[in-house]
Amino acid sequence: MPSLLELQTEFARALVARDERSLMTEWIVAGRGLAPDERIGVYRNNVFSNYRAVLREVYPVVLALVDEPFFKGAADAYVSTYPSRSGNLNDFGGELGDFLAGWPPARQLPYLPDVARLEWAVEHAFHAAEAPLLDLTTLAAVAQEVLPGLHFALHPASRIVRSPYPILRIWQVNQPDFNGDRSANLDAGGDTVLVIRRGATVELERLSPGELELLQALAADLTLAQAHARALEADPALDLTELLRHHVLDGTLVAFHHDKEATA
Amino acid sequence: MSDAARADRKATRVPIRAGIGLRAPHCREMIASRPDIGWVEVHSENYFGDGGQPHRFLERIRADYPLSLHGVGLGLGSTAPLDLDHLRSLERLIGRYEPGLVSEHLCWSAAGGRHLNDLLPLPYTEEALAHVCGRIDEAQQVLGRQLLIENVSSYLQFRHSTIPEWEFLAEVSRRSGSAILLDVNNIYVNAVNHGFDPLTYLEAVPTAAVREIHLGGFDASGACLIDTHGTPVAAEVWTLYREAVARIGPCPTLVEWDTDIPALDVLLAEASKAAGILAEADAVAA
Repeated sequence: MPSLLELQTEFARALVARDERSLMTEWIVAGRGLAPDERIGVYRNNVFSNYRAVLREVYPVVLALVDEPFFKGAADAYVSTYPSRSGNLNDFGGELGDFLAGWPPARQLPYLPDVARLEWAVEHAFHAAEAPLLDLTTLAAVAQEVLPGLHFALHPASRIVRSPYPILRIWQVNQPDFNGDRSANLDAGGDTVLVIRRGATVELERLSPGELELLQALAADLTLAQAHARALEADPALDLTELLRHHVLDGTLVAFHHDKEATA
Repeated sequence: MSDAARADRKATRVPIRAGIGLRAPHCREMIASRPDIGWVEVHSENYFGDGGQPHRFLERIRADYPLSLHGVGLGLGSTAPLDLDHLRSLERLIGRYEPGLVSEHLCWSAAGGRHLNDLLPLPYTEEALAHVCGRIDEAQQVLGRQLLIENVSSYLQFRHSTIPEWEFLAEVSRRSGSAILLDVNNIYVNAVNHGFDPLTYLEAVPTAAVREIHLGGFDASGACLIDTHGTPVAAEVWTLYREAVARIGPCPTLVEWDTDIPALDVLLAEASKAAGILAEADAVAA
């Protein structure tokens, strides 16, 4: 007779390893039309169906880019390689991009891992914390000579995803409400995408190289002057005023503080 | 929200009426049409995120209805250590929404370093009983409130079980001081799957401990009944529900529908059937 720990450890192993001759079969009452291994099979089917349903919901574009058997195969292999570590199913599935990058059947679709990473960023943005718009009156009151020393915080529901493939275009043409030419030119160059929730809606926008440097430097807590210098290296024609206007008014940058406050 | 409104809301108990499991596709319509339903229940984990659409909807709906939080992921019967982060997320959620009821399942869900995210069956042994009661006690201590514990559907029985499921459920409540969320559909599913009389089960339930009843639909297309919450409540389960209400007395009753989710009207019609049975029981008692 197994202890509770032995029983649970073996049950979990038998489910995931698809072991039909597991010790478990000896611990289960036979009869009523189902053999012990078939009863374990009912649970195995429930568990894997749950995980597939979660991945389908989080990764609709990946699903649209492959066929059903491919997605099912990827989902089941993912479950075995990246076990769920949380009792909250909303935490499950975040490493699908990394998994696909190393999964041989996905090798012919080199853009697939980055599309998956983009979709996970969308999922993250959907659930992340709220942040009110930056207080423009307070910002306007900051003296001109102090501005370069300011630090800015990015919205907690924002992430940047970079890819050598046109993942934003691929994502857009695979949305359910998209009308028009669905083709995407894989040689068109890569996309750097800001994924951000504005209000309740998750939005995706393409970032220019200078804009990327600016936002990444600010996210790393550099001052505005330092971030501006980095952005100018990427794009000497960068219009800082215009970029700040957009990212403050549209809520990418949600808070600021003075240099001294950071070191205080 | 004003302090007065918050204090008002704090007092919102889940009434002895029929409620529905609130699912994402119905939120907009619930807010717009405010149907006459007693209360709503959500899966706690779906609101463990910090913000966004789910919370915006739930804040609005909570302003109109009493709320019950129903957990599916704590794994009270798991031998893996109790997940304190999970418990703290639940604690935060309780603080945010002040639910009338908080419930979890009599099952396990994680082992060997992985979660299976399913409601897995315990062997009904003294060892399992002691273990799960200790964990419920721990969770109730952290949360500072009584939990309702729900009986689950199962598709297998362990040969070394020594306690009938109904006695196990009653004993968990007695030892841990937890209340019972009685899922009448799960009693029926297990009665068919394992060959016992569902009335034997009902007779063993300590009626004073039952604070909530669940109803849902099962899938009967395979070799055993599967608790999918994807179909209407079966006729046999309605019969058993009448029997349960006659024994236990009228009790907050929830209709759950989680897969192949129908139009809100269909779900509300199921709930109004439950409301009708509750009203009949009230009339008999009066």
